[in-house]
Amino acid sequence: MRDQKNFVNHIRPGFVPSGALSVLYTFCLGGLSFLAFIVLGITGLLLMFHYQPGDSTGFSSILTIASVIPYGGVIRNLHYWAGQLMVVTVNLHMFRVVWTRSYKSPKQLNWLVGVALLTLILFLDFTGYLLIGSQESGAAATVAVNILGLIPGLGTGLAQVLFGEPSALSGSTLVMYVWHCVALPMVALLLQLYHFWRIRRDGGVRPL
Amino acid sequence: MPKQLEWTRRSVLRLAWVGIIAASALTIEPLVEYLTSKEDRLRSPLVEYNKPLDENNDWQNTANDRVWVKQDSLGVMALVATCTHLGCEVNYYPEKKEWLCPCHGSIYDVEGRPVSGPAPKALHRVAVERKPDGALIINTSKQVGMDTRL
Repeated sequence: MRDQKNFVNHIRPGFVPSGALSVLYTFCLGGLSFLAFIVLGITGLLLMFHYQPGDSTGFSSILTIASVIPYGGVIRNLHYWAGQLMVVTVNLHMFRVVWTRSYKSPKQLNWLVGVALLTLILFLDFTGYLLIGSQESGAAATVAVNILGLIPGLGTGLAQVLFGEPSALSGSTLVMYVWHCVALPMVALLLQLYHFWRIRRDGGVRPL
Repeated sequence: MPKQLEWTRRSVLRLAWVGIIAASALTIEPLVEYLTSKEDRLRSPLVEYNKPLDENNDWQNTANDRVWVKQDSLGVMALVATCTHLGCEVNYYPEKKEWLCPCHGSIYDVEGRPVSGPAPKALHRVAVERKPDGALIINTSKQVGMDTRL
């Protein structure tokens, strides 16, 4: 790669190891996940202008966004599909790291950060699903609240903090909205930036 | 003599930047339209209709695009032109005496009963009241039966 006179090599910054350009090593899955995250952030911010969280308003405001607000359908679909894509690419990224043994020293800390990020992304996916506020969301929220309720002592309070009080007919609550739109994305973004910084710190991508 | 344009890598990349910025500029108008849309604002459920109405009139549109009024031998009725399938606004075609939904082709007869297409129910009828000055007040939050008249 180093000696190739191609365009990609031309725009490559000098401090990136040329080995990192090997697409078939990483399949760029982490980068694709981050791209999806950026798309999710932008479209999510736009959706917040018209989405109204709540038992009775969540589902109808999504219908309004999707069918009445100009370009709302595009933005909602971008958000939905970027979310689906991110769950897929994050999982594949995990498999790739296992496959190439990239979790080993000196990258063991970054692996743990990655596991935390995977959990966060799955929580984001789940809370987003509940915010749709459909009957399916309501059923999913009920199941989640009941599972949390099984934890002795803490369970009920934890469910209250994490989900608010979702009705069985609509999972959408203000509490979940805050988790989905502010708290979880902020933590995920900070962890991602740390994740990327650690790649360089641990010696970058060095294909076999 | 003008300086000849040189196609260096630098100028090509610069041109690419211009292209990207120009392409992004195309999103400004849709974004403004999306952000300034007032379609989901809270509206009063009450709609006023103060033009004369008699049995010779066909369905008349009110100040709210989706609310229509009509008078027959039994009295005044009001209808909400929201498709009972997925909520699109249905249009009235006076020459055909039919309501047509542009989204999935549901057809309703002049009374708003579904004739064909995916629509499961008749277009909703809502309550009409008359103010002391004679204007009609349509309460879109109060659904009534097909036979109800003012």
